[in-house]
Amino acid sequence: MAGRLRRLLPGLTPMSAGTLTIATRKTKLHRLFAYRFAMLAGPGALFILVALLLPLLSIVVFSFWRTQSYELFADWNLDNYRVMLSEAAYRVFFLRSLGMALAVTLACLVIAWPIAYFIAKHGGRYRLLLVLLLAAPFFTGVILRIAALQGLFGPIGIINMTLTELGIPPIQALMYTPLAAIIGLVYLYLPFMITAVYLSVINFNFELLEVAKINGARPWRAFIEITWPLNWIGTAIGLVVVFIPCLASAVTQRFLGGTQSASFGMSLAQQFGETGTWALGSAMGVALFFSSLVAILLIGRSINLKRSGFTGAINR
Amino acid sequence: MTATSTIAGPRRRLMASALVMGLVLAAVYVFLYAPIFYVIYTSFSADIVWPFPPRFSAQSYSDLFASSLYGTALANSVTLALGSAVISTVLAAAGAIGILRYRSRWRGLAMFLFLAPLFVAELLIGISTLAFNARVLGLPGNLFSAMAANAVPGTSFAFLIILAQLVRYDWNMDDAAMVFGAGPFRSFIEITLPTIWPSLLGAFLISFILAFNDLEISFYNLGAIPTLPSVAWGSLRFGLGPELFALATLVNGAVCLVFVVMYLLMRYRIVSFGYRGR
Repeated sequence: MAGRLRRLLPGLTPMSAGTLTIATRKTKLHRLFAYRFAMLAGPGALFILVALLLPLLSIVVFSFWRTQSYELFADWNLDNYRVMLSEAAYRVFFLRSLGMALAVTLACLVIAWPIAYFIAKHGGRYRLLLVLLLAAPFFTGVILRIAALQGLFGPIGIINMTLTELGIPPIQALMYTPLAAIIGLVYLYLPFMITAVYLSVINFNFELLEVAKINGARPWRAFIEITWPLNWIGTAIGLVVVFIPCLASAVTQRFLGGTQSASFGMSLAQQFGETGTWALGSAMGVALFFSSLVAILLIGRSINLKRSGFTGAINR
Repeated sequence: MTATSTIAGPRRRLMASALVMGLVLAAVYVFLYAPIFYVIYTSFSADIVWPFPPRFSAQSYSDLFASSLYGTALANSVTLALGSAVISTVLAAAGAIGILRYRSRWRGLAMFLFLAPLFVAELLIGISTLAFNARVLGLPGNLFSAMAANAVPGTSFAFLIILAQLVRYDWNMDDAAMVFGAGPFRSFIEITLPTIWPSLLGAFLISFILAFNDLEISFYNLGAIPTLPSVAWGSLRFGLGPELFALATLVNGAVCLVFVVMYLLMRYRIVSFGYRGR
């Protein structure tokens, strides 16, 4: 940046020299660039602020209010949180959603890693095509893919109908059980995880493994000490982008999971739909938001940018 | 003899592990595509419950096209997705250029804002926008607020895609154009745009497809306006309709078509989509 300024206007004071930053006078060009930055990045930032952060703030406010016959009243109290914490049903829903999200995230991690690694290493010129083929189902939309899964697993789905035709009892475990919901969620979110890990492995320098081998490391040891930590940032992003929608998911459990997998998201959606208890729903939304925030912070803390091979390309 | 075996051993192990991983990859392809192919197959079949032996019919398609609800829903979905994708792409492109090109102390904050929606569940975006629009702004559900709400995660995805290409872009080219007297707008049109348009197109397509398929955000912000996902949701609730299978087939077909076009563009080297060859 400084170099470019210097090249453009040879007389300009450099903005930084080495690691030492020299405070410069506010030049005309400086102000012009600040203005352009604001004009370009400002609208998008403002849009997110208005369309994402203000609504989230508003449900934080509503969570301290009261709903009566579909109307919100602004008398501040902690009742919604008390109900949410004391009613066993909400606790069960929350723990179930949490457990399911953890199971799905782990399953996605275990399946995605070998696949992303294999494509990045052996995919050759077809790498992009192979990854796009894995990501393609993601563009069909959740509802239609759940319909497709029901066509496969459901009571009148192909698997169970085949078994019935052959005179074998259908697999109960696939019909409206938490297991079916977990398989459904893995089906829905696996493409996210594979893409995240793939994007990380594709930029990984495989020659480092040769160095490890020359220095006597076995393949497994080289993986643990080099491949895994250097690609941890991509993996962590994958964990977050799978865990968060799974924790909030409602539709999958509703159509694949049956009564045994009623989730926190389902119950939350119900507060805003059928029962109209928006204040309680807001409190549940806040709880959901904070649990995903905790997950992001926990995973984010484990990232060491320098160890991940981050060279600060963004701050050129 | 011993020399060859020590060389052949690791190589054989390597080939074996490549074979195993290849099989895992194949299994995942089957897992991901079996339901979709089953749906496509069943949509052409006369009997949806047990479509064997196959008896083909286009009944589900004629049902689909006869229903006016699906037509309205398609039109709404397309309008919603187009509006949302335009907002996302424009905001994300401007944001990515601003953040990469002009140093500012607000850069970190802007980056954080652009990426924040990725870490908020869609259900939360949906309900919080509903609560905000209905109680703070006093707006009933409408197409425009659904467009804006869908553009929130769309902007993040578009931003990531455009950023990925822009980090490799050489801004010196623009500086050169400006030294020769082009204004910032002219240098963008003549220098930047011809280089980065594939990523803009990719960002537009992804945000379009996301908004087109979205249920959780649109459901809370559209009021009673039907879209394809919400109609599909309704029909899934009352048992699988054959026309739902036909709809899934058509949507899959459209997605496939986009990928075929992308492949052809790559094949004939019109666009490289980031592949530089290795």
